[in-house]
Amino acid sequence: MVQVRAILVAALALLAAAGCGGSGPPAAPKGDLRILSLTPSVTEVLFAMGLGPHVVGRSTYCTWPPEAKDLPAVGDTMQLSLEKVIRLQPTVAFLVTRREAVPRRLEGLGIRTVALDTDTMPQLLESIRTIGCETGHQAEAQALINRIQADLEAVRRRVAGLPRPKVLFAFPMTVGSSQIMVAGRGSFVDELLDVAGAENAYAARADWPNIGPQQVIALEPDVVIINATGEDSPPDRLQTIRHAWDALTSVPAVARGRVHILTESYLTIPGPRVGEAARLLAETIHPAPPGHSPARHGGQSSPWRRPELRAETTP
Amino acid sequence: MTLRPLTPRRYVTAILAWLGVWLVVAAVSVVVGGRLWSWGSQAQVQNILWLRLEWVLTASVVGAVLALAGLAFQALLRNPLADPYILGVSGGAALGFILSSLFLSVALAPVLGFLGALATVAIVYAIAQRRGRLEPYTLILTGVILNAFYAAAIMLLTALVRPAQRGDIALWMMGSIRAFGPQWLLVGLVGAGAVGVAVLFAFLAKGFNLVAVGEDTAQALGVPVSALRLVTFVAASLVTGASVALAGPIGFVGLICPHILRMIMGPDHRRLVPASLLLGATFLVLADLLATLWEGASDRALPVGVLTAMSGAPFFIYLLRRRWRTSAEIR
Repeated sequence: MVQVRAILVAALALLAAAGCGGSGPPAAPKGDLRILSLTPSVTEVLFAMGLGPHVVGRSTYCTWPPEAKDLPAVGDTMQLSLEKVIRLQPTVAFLVTRREAVPRRLEGLGIRTVALDTDTMPQLLESIRTIGCETGHQAEAQALINRIQADLEAVRRRVAGLPRPKVLFAFPMTVGSSQIMVAGRGSFVDELLDVAGAENAYAARADWPNIGPQQVIALEPDVVIINATGEDSPPDRLQTIRHAWDALTSVPAVARGRVHILTESYLTIPGPRVGEAARLLAETIHPAPPGHSPARHGGQSSPWRRPELRAETTP
Repeated sequence: MTLRPLTPRRYVTAILAWLGVWLVVAAVSVVVGGRLWSWGSQAQVQNILWLRLEWVLTASVVGAVLALAGLAFQALLRNPLADPYILGVSGGAALGFILSSLFLSVALAPVLGFLGALATVAIVYAIAQRRGRLEPYTLILTGVILNAFYAAAIMLLTALVRPAQRGDIALWMMGSIRAFGPQWLLVGLVGAGAVGVAVLFAFLAKGFNLVAVGEDTAQALGVPVSALRLVTFVAASLVTGASVALAGPIGFVGLICPHILRMIMGPDHRRLVPASLLLGATFLVLADLLATLWEGASDRALPVGVLTAMSGAPFFIYLLRRRWRTSAEIR
């Protein structure tokens, strides 16, 4: 499975290297490039490619990198302020949406609109390539693709040969629901878990299924990772989440104290930080990989390069 | 319908019979809903047992509170369409709960929800009372207006928050018996409230009966109608607020359970009070069991509030039609 994916990613990288192809309109001239990004992952990609100065507008939820926050926000694909969009005079708009009316509307305003898919790793790399073609920055796109692949490969190497525990990746329970949303097989986070040296405890093919505590008990995950971001991240909320999981005493992860709450929002953003996300997951899943004793690393207590990324509430 | 006179012995026997029905249904719901036989290890069985027990008790206390409050409001307001939410209490609790979970603290949301209910009781009383007296029509109108205001406020919040949170609010407004995290303390508090209010109403039952016959008659027979209204209004509102804070606004239970009982056992509130407590509990446990079985079969959770309305409405119509037919035959 790992190999198949590696080959697939490599093939896509080749495709990317092959350039933009003959079809499609010519790339926009670099001079008057004015980009509107309506999706957080795309905004991150644009800034990572060094296109930040060309981005003129963003969605309300595009808050990374910090510079992006200074840009005017035009709402989101559900509630888009078309007046603001027109005022910004973008030459090209990038977005990820299932609402076909949005790109059609933007095209109608005379804005070249590119709808992207970033649900899986190959789709993400493909999207970066597309952005490179549309903006005339193919080289930067390829550099970013190479960097992401190197990041992922580095994590893959670190966990190679380690036992692969069953990991359940979940969002906190929402108010009013008996269910939690978990990463299903085939989702983007599922791929990250694979890179990070784990089996997805939710083995069935599904994007982001909702499951109740009874199903959690039946899945018997060895490790549970809860991604509590935004309004789920205040201390009292984290305590409530931990308390809720502590009740599931028969779950191996709970019994062994392997329920980890991570507050980093980039874990589920398919953008340039996927390498960091994979590393954080690997670090959480394999806290002290054998064969990496502190002595061999010159007194460093962890084999991981950036331990400050860890933000757990485990006492 | 023949009614035998109510002796203490018959009273206790009836309560024990209702209690028995609830216990059986609750036990079946714990075992069947949890599919206890299908779990491998003993730790898992124990885990599931506690989960199901908590949810069944949640359903029980919420159902009991709603049925009792519905019964009391129908008697107090002399209006067969009254339900526990008619005086705006659920709206106040819901607004407090949602505001807290969005902007303050999710953990404190039930407390803020209850405070919202409390504030609403005070507002309704301030508007509807005239020299300490509560008039049924003023009460109902005040409640309707407040409910409309709260609904608008909740819609405003729904429009302002992130799309993902919109779903959460909508789901919570449908009622939720089964929380992911344990809520034993809240369940205990609402349960104590249910029993407390049942005892209080049992003492007030004779007054309810006389007010139902006619206010003037009741007054003439020495029932302090104003005081009765005030006590009932405050008590029923407080437990309703607590139940909304625990499980969200679950519709129809408070309307249908008292009416089912009136059709079965007549208008005597001395019988209706304990029966409402236990039928409300049984009804919501059954609805939750249905939702659980549905979830087991389809992997999709069903909001229990939707089920109570969808299963309750046809049954209610059936009862209404049957009663109408038999009374026509008698004539």
